[in-house]
Amino acid sequence: MPGFLKEFFNRNGTLMGSIMLGLVLFWVIGLIILPQLSMLDFSFRPNLPPPEIGGPKDVYTLENYKYLIYGPEGGSQDYNAVDLAVFYRTLVAAVLVTLFNLAFCYPIAYYLGQTKGNHIRIFALMLIIPYWINEILRAFALRIIFGETGVFNTLLVGSGIFDTPFDFIRNDVALYAGLGYAYILLMIFPIYNVIESLDHNQIEAARDLGAPWWRIHWRVVIPYAKPGISSGCTMVFMLSAGALAAPQILGGPSSLWFTQLIYQQFNDNSDWPQGAAYAIVLLVTCILLVLAVMRLFKVNMGDIGK
Amino acid sequence: MNPDKIIRYSIWIYLAIFFAYLLGPLIIMSATAFNSPGFPRMTPWECLTFDWFGALFRDERILNGIWNSVLVGIGTVIMSVSMGLAGALMLTQIWPKLRATYYTIIIAPILIPGVVLGISTLVFWDRINRMLGLGADSFLSNGLFLTIIGQSTFIASYCMLVLVARLQRYDMTLTEAALDLGATHAQAFRKVLMPFMFPAIASAGVLAFLASFENYNTTTFTFGEYPTLTIELAQKVRYGITPAISALAFMIVALTVFFALVNEANIKRKALIAEARKDATVGELAGKVEVPGFLSRNPAAIALIVLLIGTATVVGSAMAYSPDQCIAGVQEQKRLETERRIQELRDQRAKDAAEKSQQEGGAETQSTPKPSNNSGFGSVFAPGTLEGSDSDAGDAAPTDSGGNNSGFGNVFDPNALQNDDN
Repeated sequence: MPGFLKEFFNRNGTLMGSIMLGLVLFWVIGLIILPQLSMLDFSFRPNLPPPEIGGPKDVYTLENYKYLIYGPEGGSQDYNAVDLAVFYRTLVAAVLVTLFNLAFCYPIAYYLGQTKGNHIRIFALMLIIPYWINEILRAFALRIIFGETGVFNTLLVGSGIFDTPFDFIRNDVALYAGLGYAYILLMIFPIYNVIESLDHNQIEAARDLGAPWWRIHWRVVIPYAKPGISSGCTMVFMLSAGALAAPQILGGPSSLWFTQLIYQQFNDNSDWPQGAAYAIVLLVTCILLVLAVMRLFKVNMGDIGK
Repeated sequence: MNPDKIIRYSIWIYLAIFFAYLLGPLIIMSATAFNSPGFPRMTPWECLTFDWFGALFRDERILNGIWNSVLVGIGTVIMSVSMGLAGALMLTQIWPKLRATYYTIIIAPILIPGVVLGISTLVFWDRINRMLGLGADSFLSNGLFLTIIGQSTFIASYCMLVLVARLQRYDMTLTEAALDLGATHAQAFRKVLMPFMFPAIASAGVLAFLASFENYNTTTFTFGEYPTLTIELAQKVRYGITPAISALAFMIVALTVFFALVNEANIKRKALIAEARKDATVGELAGKVEVPGFLSRNPAAIALIVLLIGTATVVGSAMAYSPDQCIAGVQEQKRLETERRIQELRDQRAKDAAEKSQQEGGAETQSTPKPSNNSGFGSVFAPGTLEGSDSDAGDAAPTDSGGNNSGFGNVFDPNALQNDDN
């Protein structure tokens, strides 16, 4: 038995030590690492009926990835324009949703973090309550509001701004509002946690030295809140790029989200390897994008989740 | 107006917009649960009704979904809290060199899209299943098992974060002291560490259950034969929405608010007790805190009582109240409205037809009223109709007094309203 393992068992006792080690190993290896590797492996294989898996036809292939870029073999187009466009739009929309959430949530996070008083707890409660409601129901609520006979259209038509109901769902307004709505809390809390620990005297000092309010934020608060901002942005971006419920419920019939393509590959086409390949592409692209942005703003991975 | 005031006003406007965005959809959705139309909407408000709650409780699939969700939730709570606790303990002991890598690995599931987690769970356990040579109905391809496993992968990370925050304040020498005094490792864990960690374990458990209950992205790939409530809701919402879903949402909102207020009131009460204890002698403790402390400075407790009274009133009036009459009234109104529209349309069509035929040739019009008879109405205004078609004329008289088969007569009949009310 290697030394460090012996020390570990000495410190925790044999029984407790092995339970602990077993649980951690099961989680890290059995639930996190192996499934991801298995999916990676799967994405390089052709789509075969179950009896042929492991047979001579089960060889590694790049076909599934090629499909995303070039489309079906012998297809009329040079590139798989539909899927690539969906992929591109998903990423761009996720970035926009993240930026919108940041702009929308930063002021309230700052306000909650720096204001003292009884009403702050009530505000915090009002923030948390929507987050406990089911994701599907939240999307459903927005669908009621943005529907053809919804509150918005009734107001707009009633006040004479529009003659006919505006189709919020077909124009993706509902989708973006829903995605922003779904992850507001994940943006607020990390920023709030950091700003709460900012000494108010620093802001006072900056004000006394004559800085206007926007410069106080730019030079004092935002640099201090950077870890919180980055972890909030990372979570919102990853979750909205990987969202499935909101696009399914709020998305227009013509606008697909990339996760919906994955879902279709799995459930409608029964092409698991293809779906796995798409999932890998989504995962890797998102991670690379997040890492690149974090490098750009000089933030550490370890700050995420704090 | 000085700039300070402008800033203050803009802060309040911003807060109002923010909370309207956050809470408005939920309030409107809850309100639609009490409106009678079959499509959930606020406007036009027709009738106050509680029928959608009944429709909800008669829905087998929803009830089954709730049951499955509870099963999955219990499994996920057990799995993820124990794995999260082990992971958190490991984090305090692992080699410093490995710590960053280890932390990245166990935090990663939070950032991995739920879709990816669902797929990888499905693919991996399907492969294990095949390696072991088990059939399609084995335990490893069971929807319940897969869903619990898939959800625990990332929910354990949430639990780990909650537990680590408390564990950092734990004094490791306490365990050592217990061991020195002759406790076994298991005893030290159970009697020293666990009581300290209990609040964090409880909140991790609640968090895990809620996260499991509302999970969709992962579950949608793994649920198999056990559709959870979220899955059932998603299918309902995608293929036709009814206010019964609003009714469910309203109940969830009410429950959430209720528990949030209970929690808040409890925290406040403890704070008040602690405050009172600080400057009270032992003798006056009991009398000073109890009754006034519960309500006087505790807005959450007051809100809680208001909520309870409100619920009792609503439930009580729901028992006594019947919306049938109102619904019948609205239906009647709608029917009249529809008939009026049909009438207008027919008038219009008849006029068009008349103009058209006049343009074609005035002489012929008089003698050929028949062709437009198919529409059932176009010929009413043609002078020859009454003589020409006996059937129409014969029907017209009885229609006015009773039914509305011909679809035109009774709108303008002053007796119509009285007849239908009977």
